[in-house]
Amino acid sequence: MSPLSITSRTLAAALGGYGLASLSAMALAVTLPMARDQAVIIGIMVALLLCSGAAIWAFSARSAWRAWAGILAPGVLLGGLYLWGLPA
Amino acid sequence: MTMAPPLFLALALAYAGLTSLSLAMKRHHDQVMGRKLQPERVRYYRWPGWLLLALSLWVTLTVWPLGLALFMAVGLVAIAGLPLVFLLPYRARLAGRLAVALPVLAMLTWSTVALV
Amino acid sequence: MNKSFRQSMAWLHTWTGLLLGWLLVAIFITGTSAYFREEITLWMQPEVHDSTLQPGTIDMALAALNAKAPDARSWDISLPGPRQTAAELRWQPAKPPEDGRRHRGEQILMDADSGEVVAPRATRGGNFFYRFHFELYGIDRLWARLLVCLATMFMLIAIISGVITHKKIFKDFFTFRPGKGQRSWLDAHNATAVLALPYHFMITYSGLLLFMTLIMPWGIDAAYENDRRSFFSEVFSRGEDAAQPGSPGEMVAIGPLIEQTETRFGKPVERIQITNPNRDNAQITLRVNRDPAVTDRQRGGDPTQVFQGNTGELIDTHIPANDPVSPGWRIYNFFTSVHMTRFADPLTRWLFFLFGVAGSAMTVTGMLLWVSKRTQQLRRDQQPDRALKMVNGLNMASITGLMLAIAAYFLANRLLPVTLAAREDREIQVFFIVWLVSLVHGLLRPNRHGWIEQVAAASLLWFAIPVVNIFTTASHLFTPLAWQHAAIASFDLVCLILAALGGHTLWRLQRKPLPAKARRAPAPRPFNTTNPASEQPAGESP
Repeated sequence: MSPLSITSRTLAAALGGYGLASLSAMALAVTLPMARDQAVIIGIMVALLLCSGAAIWAFSARSAWRAWAGILAPGVLLGGLYLWGLPA
Repeated sequence: MTMAPPLFLALALAYAGLTSLSLAMKRHHDQVMGRKLQPERVRYYRWPGWLLLALSLWVTLTVWPLGLALFMAVGLVAIAGLPLVFLLPYRARLAGRLAVALPVLAMLTWSTVALV
Repeated sequence: MNKSFRQSMAWLHTWTGLLLGWLLVAIFITGTSAYFREEITLWMQPEVHDSTLQPGTIDMALAALNAKAPDARSWDISLPGPRQTAAELRWQPAKPPEDGRRHRGEQILMDADSGEVVAPRATRGGNFFYRFHFELYGIDRLWARLLVCLATMFMLIAIISGVITHKKIFKDFFTFRPGKGQRSWLDAHNATAVLALPYHFMITYSGLLLFMTLIMPWGIDAAYENDRRSFFSEVFSRGEDAAQPGSPGEMVAIGPLIEQTETRFGKPVERIQITNPNRDNAQITLRVNRDPAVTDRQRGGDPTQVFQGNTGELIDTHIPANDPVSPGWRIYNFFTSVHMTRFADPLTRWLFFLFGVAGSAMTVTGMLLWVSKRTQQLRRDQQPDRALKMVNGLNMASITGLMLAIAAYFLANRLLPVTLAAREDREIQVFFIVWLVSLVHGLLRPNRHGWIEQVAAASLLWFAIPVVNIFTTASHLFTPLAWQHAAIASFDLVCLILAALGGHTLWRLQRKPLPAKARRAPAPRPFNTTNPASEQPAGESP
């Protein structure tokens, strides 16, 4: 891996991973069909796993571009899910 | 300390189970038994190994409530397995003998405590 | 599994492991000691050792509180148990302090035999290590916690990538090949990691969960419209505040109430809380130790009975197992309560301590493996470069140095004058000075000599603890008192075991005639090999 690729993947893992995790926590908190306190805690538990999963993905993807794509695409989806689930 | 005897038994069973599983592997069979493992004999070690581990889990369930018991049963595998791993290269025969001796000793302890 | 995938995971494992590895070693070792934090504090206060729960202890405690603070807002008595010998009395003064902050109240220790107040030497005890394992020391608490969380996340990533890297996880399950340098460290790292994998995952993941509101609060904000407080009160509420004090009134004798609660739960009462004591609206709360039901609600998770103070009437019986808990929270409760092990009896606590030892061994062997691997890759005529030396020196400081510093902290507890001003801070200073000295020493001598010296010093200090104890306390290993309270004797025994382990390590280090690389290094290999995979064919047995 070139230094540039490592830097890019590290950023994808750290910023992208944390962002993705945060979005999943928010999306699950407002969309899971259950009492909100339980939706929140499940969202957090999933988010923490996603955060580490994203880091694994960032360093295993074939290229740095794919690493970013694999994090941004579900991120956009989760962001949409969050907006959809927001109380009107 | 009424949980000590069953806990000892659970640990001993986990140790015996792991040893049996290791005997189903070529490298460790050589170490402990001093002879080659016949491929068709693998199951004589593998099945009893899993059975002993299942027994260990069963005993663990009598010590703790379900949630913690499941976690501790897996934890006992570590506590029993690490001594085994570090015994095998130095005292392989002893490791094998302990697998028989420890469960017997544990059952004796438990029955003694239960009778007294 | 495809090869390049495993290689990138090996790379990730190596570097996430190294980057915060030193911190993780320190977190694991101090965190493991925290399973026994109350026992450590007990050992560090020998003035309270000669105290045992008596039938009259509770009456003496109430009399002491009546003398100290008859008009307090509340009294709180923790009775001696397996983890403490003295009774701990606390109270909230009638008038809250002027500064307006939430006050933790006053606290004294009472000898359970005589009822006299004991003033033990000032020490932070086991709490110092407990706090250190999640907020370090001397740095801003928030930043320290964030740093620890970051290290924990690295650990989680290292666990996952480590499992992926280890291609023969089942085939090598029981494998340890001693005397083979890097290969042996790898085997030991694998064994401690794989066998205790569920524990490692639990302790890491739950460590993050415990700080969820610090590191991942966005879901709360989303569902509670940025009102975090209502989330906390919804899920963590501690019940209502105590009522305002009523008019003066008598309280019933507590003996029959204790008996009633102990019969109901089949366990001894461990804690007595009285709100508005000596008032006509006094309430007496009796708690027994919680059950090891780890998925139940943990806050307020002790089985409890509440009585009316002036009539002795039973108002409430709280059985945590009957509280409704949703599945999501059960998972959360499982992880966090197993992490903190508040429910544990002494035997279970020992098992957790052993898990912690396995975890510490995993981090330590991982760090040693890093150096061993790179040392072995050196050509015969090649000297280790500066980076390798530095890592080796930092390893020394984080492993043997920390063990030295901990031993010095315990020795300082026994050797510093009891009346020394700011004594508890001095103990901590000794800890950090010794740690710093070991760091400097490690960086100056990042080689086998350095290791030998530090291991020797550490073994000596750990052996010195029970010895110094003989001359400085009346509860050393040759007194019945130490054995009467298992925790006290066990502490000295653990010191001896650690000293023996150190001695054994020293013997093995001394015995090896030459550095491994000089004997073993095969044909010259390029130093900067690009194969980061920890699997090396060299030294593989058939």
